[in-house]
Amino acid sequence: MATRVARSRPTITAYLVVWIGLLLIVVVQVLLTYARLPAGRLLAALLVLALVQAALALFYFMNLKYERPILFWSLIPYLIFAMFMLDHVWPDALRLLHQRLPPS
Amino acid sequence: MSDAAMTVGARPGARMEESPYGIQSKKLAMWLFIVADSATFGAMLFAYGYLRLANPDWTRPFAFWPAIANGLAMTVLLLTSALTMVAAVRAAQAGEKATSLTWLTVTGLLGLGFAVLHLVEWSGLVGEGWRLFQNPQGGSVLFGATFFSITGLSLLHVIAGIVAIAVVATKYRRGRLDAGHVETTGLYWQFVGLVWMFVFPLVYLMNAR
Repeated sequence: MATRVARSRPTITAYLVVWIGLLLIVVVQVLLTYARLPAGRLLAALLVLALVQAALALFYFMNLKYERPILFWSLIPYLIFAMFMLDHVWPDALRLLHQRLPPS
Repeated sequence: MSDAAMTVGARPGARMEESPYGIQSKKLAMWLFIVADSATFGAMLFAYGYLRLANPDWTRPFAFWPAIANGLAMTVLLLTSALTMVAAVRAAQAGEKATSLTWLTVTGLLGLGFAVLHLVEWSGLVGEGWRLFQNPQGGSVLFGATFFSITGLSLLHVIAGIVAIAVVATKYRRGRLDAGHVETTGLYWQFVGLVWMFVFPLVYLMNAR
């Protein structure tokens, strides 16, 4: 027996708009790359744009927006928490800051 | 609980409580896999990010032509395949099997184009002397180590996705799989595209010169 669809899905036009938005973000990322920003600022800017892209893909292409909210609340906060722990608390991440390998 | 709120299990006559998520178990399993795999990619990309920022003499081998242009083409292919996969899933859910199969084929071909461009790029880099632990320009070996490991894992996911699409499309055409399987495969394919949204800017654009 098929499970019921939680909410109605968007039209194909809405998906097309999201697709165009994703492509435009890629163009902005390339333009930023050649704006010669310092590495730290460039990384931060590219990450923010990638996160916007990921959110669009997650909510529209992966239809998370149209599922029951419990699916979002069961998965995404855990993922964000795990990512935060990986990036800020995991000791190896801090060790890598001081790692220097010799030239080949 | 009413009969309508119950789902029928695998065994004839077995009755199970409805999933609180309101989705098929295979789709929930795919979501759990995606969350776990996100942590894997996250760990690799975080490690790469730390290494990249901590090494001011990091080798940046990518000129706009051909490397960044090639990466752009790969990105457009993958983003477009995400859209065609949406079309395939929608058609399958509407019971339009032929249309769904057409879009699945287009998605697979776009994925194949992505993989070919990726392998051509790898071949070029290997031809220049880049290896997992070798830098032909004489600088740090970290670029090769991070680039080949991150893009290799991503490419492995793409190839697995192409195989999955081919298998599911074949069985869906024969009536052995249903729209739910197409949707679950679509979910995986969208995840592959989502990963690339981080790989392209962080691994390619951050290494442009």
